[in-house]
Amino acid sequence: MGINRVLITRVLVSLAGAIGVLWAVATLTFFAVRLIPGDPALALLGGPGSQASPEALALVRAENGLDQPLFIQYLMQLGRLATGDLGRSYALNQDVAQVILPQLVGTLTLAILSLAVAWAFSLTVTIWSTRGGRIAASIGSGLDVIAAALPHFWLATSLIIVFSLWLGVLPPISTGTPAGLVLPVLALAIPLAGFLSQIMRPALLTALESPFVLSARARGESEGGVRRLHAIRHAAVPAISLTGWAFGSLISGAVVVETIFARPGLGRTLLNAVTARDVPVVIGVVMIVAVAYILVTLATDAATRLVDPREAESGRAARS
Amino acid sequence: MRTNPVSAAGAAPRLAKPLTAVAAIAIAALALTGCTAPSPQTASGSPRTGGTLTYASGDAEPTCLDPHVGGNYPQALLSTQFLESLVSRDSDGEIVPWLAKSWTTSADGLTWEFTLAPDVTFTDGTPLDAAAVQANVAHLQDPETGSSTGYLALGKVVSTEAVSPDVVKFTLSEPDSALLESLSQPWLAIESPTALKRSQDDNCAAPVGTGPFVVTKWVKQNAVTLTRNDGYNSPPADATNTGPAYLDSITWRFIPESASRYAALQAGEVDVIDNAQPDTIVQAEKSGSLQHLDAPRPGASNRIELNSGKPPFDDVRVREAFIRSANVDDAVASLFQGTATRSYSALSSVEPLAVSEPKLFGYDQKAANALLDAAGWTERDADGYRVKDGARLSVQFPVSTNQSIPAEQSLFEQIQATAKQTGFEVVLEPMDLGSWYAALGAHEYNAVSAPYTKVGPDVLRILYHSSGIIPAPSGYFANNAQVNDPKLDALLTQAGQVSDPGERKTLETDAQNLILAGFYILPLYDQQNHFLLRSDVEGVRAMPTVSTPTFQGAWLNR
Repeated sequence: MGINRVLITRVLVSLAGAIGVLWAVATLTFFAVRLIPGDPALALLGGPGSQASPEALALVRAENGLDQPLFIQYLMQLGRLATGDLGRSYALNQDVAQVILPQLVGTLTLAILSLAVAWAFSLTVTIWSTRGGRIAASIGSGLDVIAAALPHFWLATSLIIVFSLWLGVLPPISTGTPAGLVLPVLALAIPLAGFLSQIMRPALLTALESPFVLSARARGESEGGVRRLHAIRHAAVPAISLTGWAFGSLISGAVVVETIFARPGLGRTLLNAVTARDVPVVIGVVMIVAVAYILVTLATDAATRLVDPREAESGRAARS
Repeated sequence: MRTNPVSAAGAAPRLAKPLTAVAAIAIAALALTGCTAPSPQTASGSPRTGGTLTYASGDAEPTCLDPHVGGNYPQALLSTQFLESLVSRDSDGEIVPWLAKSWTTSADGLTWEFTLAPDVTFTDGTPLDAAAVQANVAHLQDPETGSSTGYLALGKVVSTEAVSPDVVKFTLSEPDSALLESLSQPWLAIESPTALKRSQDDNCAAPVGTGPFVVTKWVKQNAVTLTRNDGYNSPPADATNTGPAYLDSITWRFIPESASRYAALQAGEVDVIDNAQPDTIVQAEKSGSLQHLDAPRPGASNRIELNSGKPPFDDVRVREAFIRSANVDDAVASLFQGTATRSYSALSSVEPLAVSEPKLFGYDQKAANALLDAAGWTERDADGYRVKDGARLSVQFPVSTNQSIPAEQSLFEQIQATAKQTGFEVVLEPMDLGSWYAALGAHEYNAVSAPYTKVGPDVLRILYHSSGIIPAPSGYFANNAQVNDPKLDALLTQAGQVSDPGERKTLETDAQNLILAGFYILPLYDQQNHFLLRSDVEGVRAMPTVSTPTFQGAWLNR
């Protein structure tokens, strides 16, 4: 009973938090886009600088509610969002959901694969570099720092030069085939792997010196077993918490990577929409990303509890 | 996003995406080492039918493929492949027949009769007739369509009439010497009247014309697929290929990043790219496996316009001083690496009536200093800038990062540096297109570079007639230099109405001389429009109208 009530309360709190985040995101985005100069009515008529006739402009403004005061437009936008309606794109003359949904798969594929590849890289390098002595440790931490500092655009361009122009093994632009996905995923995964390792390595080193590792060793556990079965669980906890943030950063990285590799996706949609002052599409993309971020954060919370049962216990203890 | 001014105005804005300099240099440097040895250009044999050509555009993906809606350059690039106009222009600048095989005008210049080419049908089976042309004029003039460029070009057309199925008559409110030039533009292409009756969404997705290709698929943010029109029989009078296209299809992709676009071309993933940047053009010309198509756009040259409507450029001496203090030649040579030729004209070099006056635009710091002293800007402040009545000699210069390619932005920085030596503070303000138009609309500028694409010298009337100072309902105004000279107005109005070509030439020449001698503009170069093609792509030419490439005669020699 008690546990159930705690559970319900927690779900309700999370839900309220999620709605609060979505409201804040929608509000900030709406005003940020509308307060920069530029008239969305012109987006409909061939872009900024339009010499559209007065009739055409008036028509477009009335059709899209752009003749209303800004605050009313904001309330209209919120009202639509509350009913799950993302509205209609000013520039594309299409429902926002129709604009975004076809692009969602591409960006999610990119983000999820990059996350997986980043984890694989990071675990491999971390485990290797903490057992290979001082030289391996220096190489490992050096790699992390460099990888984490690489700007996406630079890395993406360098990958194109090496793998497409020099070696000629991978296409420099997205081709809709798995081969076309390799370079974009690497461009996103490498910097992220650097971040994850920077968090994991010190945690792993600390864990390796803790008493429970000593006792595992005393029980005759092999060095590899100590790392894979015991110490890495400790080291992974902070990195898992970082994954929620990482997912957000992958979406922002996608703006760059999708542009460079000419890959269809939410990042390019967002960039185009901001330039066209296409407020409904901007808000739509940002809302979708916010929802994804919330889901990933919930998932990483759950994963943390799974990896480190103490979290679950202490959480429960603190709340009851 | 980025579309252009042309957008509306026919001024096609340039959408080059900012390219990181590092990336560009790296790619260029590596390309040097990574490229295969040049192979001699194979002699073109007879055209071979078949194959798919992949085109990669750096421009924004149009939101509507019908160039009647809005009307910008990215739309024109695509619609050149599937839509056709009543008339075209040849490489000498002469208007030539296209969907109209002949035309006559009345003595007062108020009516025009166009006789249409026989046996032409739209790709949906609808015949091309007078009623079809009427439906297109009506579509362009309907506010619901949201046309900007086409609407403006038809400003003097008050009505149309079907004299017979083959003859359509236009009635004008006043004579229009630019009517044929206007009608030659892709933004005034003739579409199937049956297709125009569909919803705007449907028509935007797949406009129907008489052109060599048909829009068969459009996957947003990815590609437009164009398929050959096997029944094609209506090329412009100057086309070499008089029948259907040789290519089976064209895949039209959008690759916004300049370095990736060039890498895709080198890797053979694509066959043609547009918006080629100076460094890649130089690389390509050395490579031997690529060809360069240099097709400057018509209309205005790229120029810096000086706002004569407010201080400090309301004083002609200060305008001349600014122009004399800008070392443009050296900057163009180093930044454009020989890919752009310096212009001394208000018009593009493709315009037969362009007047060029190099002596007005020489770099001369001594003259600039003397002019500024004479204009009363005699003191200098602690930073070395000139001051008058406590105000600094400051030039606010908003720069559209969508329209000015990186080399042009660097050129502005070099002008900033040389103008500083004579005491000008040039404040460069990079901004995106929406903010840039907003700054212009609010008159928050002293200098600006705004490209404008249009066929023919009538662009001068749009850019420099005082009526162009009055903003459109959208806030847009074309006369950025804010030239307000009754003498010039009279010349431009008259030039827009005379029917005699000799008289028109005299008037347009006089008008240009007034503009150039008034130091309202600092011409830089033609509006750059460079394409790179793989060397086995043959038979591509740029339309002499707005310089969009046509693939009607293209074939793959592979």
